Amino acid sequence: MTSTRLTGREALNRVLASELAVNRRAVVMGETVRLAGSSGVLHGLYDRFGPSQVIETPVSENGIFGAALGLALAGFRPIVEIYSADFLLVVANEIIGDMCKWRQQQARPGPMPIVIRGCMGPNAKGGLGPEHSQSMEPYFHHAPGLVIVTPGTPRDMAGLLRASLRSPDPVLFFEHRRVYDLADEIPDDESFIIELGRAEVVREGKDVTLVAWGWMRSEAEIASSVLDAEGISVELIDPRTIAPMDHEAIRRSVARTAQLVVAEEAPRTGGVGAEVLARAVESAARPIRVARVSMPDAIHPYSASMERLFIPNANTIADAVRRLVSSARSAPPVLAR
Amino acid sequence: MLTAKRMTVEDLASAYRVMMLSRRFDEWLGELNHRGTPVPHYHSGVGQEALMVAAVTPLRRTDQMIYTHRGYGHLLAKGISLREIALDLFMKAGGTNHGLGGVMHVNRPDLGVPGREGVFGGRFAIAAGLALAAKLDGRDEVTVCFYGEAAGARGNLYEALNMVVLWNLPVIYVAENNGWSFSSRTEWLYPEGRMSRVWRGFEIPVEVIDGNDAEEVFATVSRAVARARAGEGPSVIEALTYRLEPHIWRDKAAYQPPDEIASWRRRDPIARAARRLLELGMNQNEIDSIACWAEDEVERTIAAVEAAPDATWEDGRHQMEV
Repeated sequence: MTSTRLTGREALNRVLASELAVNRRAVVMGETVRLAGSSGVLHGLYDRFGPSQVIETPVSENGIFGAALGLALAGFRPIVEIYSADFLLVVANEIIGDMCKWRQQQARPGPMPIVIRGCMGPNAKGGLGPEHSQSMEPYFHHAPGLVIVTPGTPRDMAGLLRASLRSPDPVLFFEHRRVYDLADEIPDDESFIIELGRAEVVREGKDVTLVAWGWMRSEAEIASSVLDAEGISVELIDPRTIAPMDHEAIRRSVARTAQLVVAEEAPRTGGVGAEVLARAVESAARPIRVARVSMPDAIHPYSASMERLFIPNANTIADAVRRLVSSARSAPPVLAR
Repeated sequence: MLTAKRMTVEDLASAYRVMMLSRRFDEWLGELNHRGTPVPHYHSGVGQEALMVAAVTPLRRTDQMIYTHRGYGHLLAKGISLREIALDLFMKAGGTNHGLGGVMHVNRPDLGVPGREGVFGGRFAIAAGLALAAKLDGRDEVTVCFYGEAAGARGNLYEALNMVVLWNLPVIYVAENNGWSFSSRTEWLYPEGRMSRVWRGFEIPVEVIDGNDAEEVFATVSRAVARARAGEGPSVIEALTYRLEPHIWRDKAAYQPPDEIASWRRRDPIARAARRLLELGMNQNEIDSIACWAEDEVERTIAAVEAAPDATWEDGRHQMEV
């Protein structure tokens, strides 16, 4: 099978182009999409597919997302770009109140095939401020009926976007700004797909289970290599989708390691990490030890240097793992059940 | 300029039947409520029948309709049976949503009724999306979106308005100005109590009409529908009517002045339609027989629905397995 080396941005563009080419009722809509969208992912699509499939909209998120729902009810597959994932709070009601509930309230169990995609998180320079840097998955993972995808590599971006475009459920597809610029060998095969809800064991290990997604996956990979050199064997799991979350893959790993660290870019309170730890503790057959690395409960400073102090990285993740492993020798574990 | 389509005596008689069915159903539900039987999420449409029914009559089965939660005339006029509406209202098995959405989410996509959003205001853009779908598909279907004082006060209206004019979409927004938004007068919420002023800056047709005159409602909506089908874009109709009953089942509506209610009762759209039917040559016996038919229909339907089994979680859960 042939493959091509692509950045995350290019990989997403290729999947979207192939979808628009085969499905006349697939439409990309959003702000600035006629040029290339907010982060360049849509480059060239308007020229190729025209205004009936690449729909430039006013800066009217409630209008755009409501119209996407109307299109979906009429049998279309809207692919909506949010200019920055942070702005999804403006349309929380359209997403949670309408798209997620519609089929159940109306008892019409057909597809609600809406893919909402957009860039998320700080870029490599940082300093984008608290309106363009937040991790949005914790705000939405509480809502029943929503698929949430957080690819950590360009290859996962391609495979998971294709799966999202086959999903009967509404999907939030979060593209981390730093993952756009990574590059991977991506299969050229247009049927290349990565199933939603399946975690990837990025690295096998026996001492500690480390769970990380999005950009944190890259930081956690570095941390795992450093820890390996110190004699701590890390099993790194990237769940790839926040909903559905592959709790079973985490449970299997923790059944062997009995130690679990979650590295999450979002603030700590009520985060996805809290849910991952809770499920792991609930399902463990024996006592396990747990820890979290996260942003503090604070907003992203505009100062990039201040922001860097907040965001978890390979060093802070490695430190958390070291602390957990060393305290294992001196403190009693969390009791399961 | 498209000429207005007039209602024939047959058109008016058939609208009158649906208006009367809607009225008798409301009266029956009001009576149940008065006797203490729960009628969950019931919002009376008494007084608004001409608007609800005659605005839907010009539509085809394949046209899309977004209804308000007040009154059941829109749903009946679009072809949904009284039985289905009543089953949903009483959370019985066999309605359109098996107790998951109740009367607030009655739907029949096959009849152009995709359902209803939960929070007021979302509808403007949902209607825009439905209309956009028809346009992209090259179908000459239109979408009619009713809305009340609450939805129309939200900013969503502006975003959708700008989009439907920008894209020249086949959509008709029908403002139901019934004088009240729960306990607030429309005049307290919109300048001079008019809901359609905000649309005027876009130079699309905006008409304020007598919502209690079935013929005027029919003619105005027909004109807007013809315009939308012909690719000439959106229109807005503000229909003036009056909410004769309280806002909701638990509201006593002491804030509605009795003399105001009495004056609007004299403008009752049903009595008015009956007078027009007489003028158009129908005889009083025929008109009376419609009222009797509606009474029987409602009585039989309610009895059957009361005897129907409750929707169970098993029904609901089955529907939720998507």
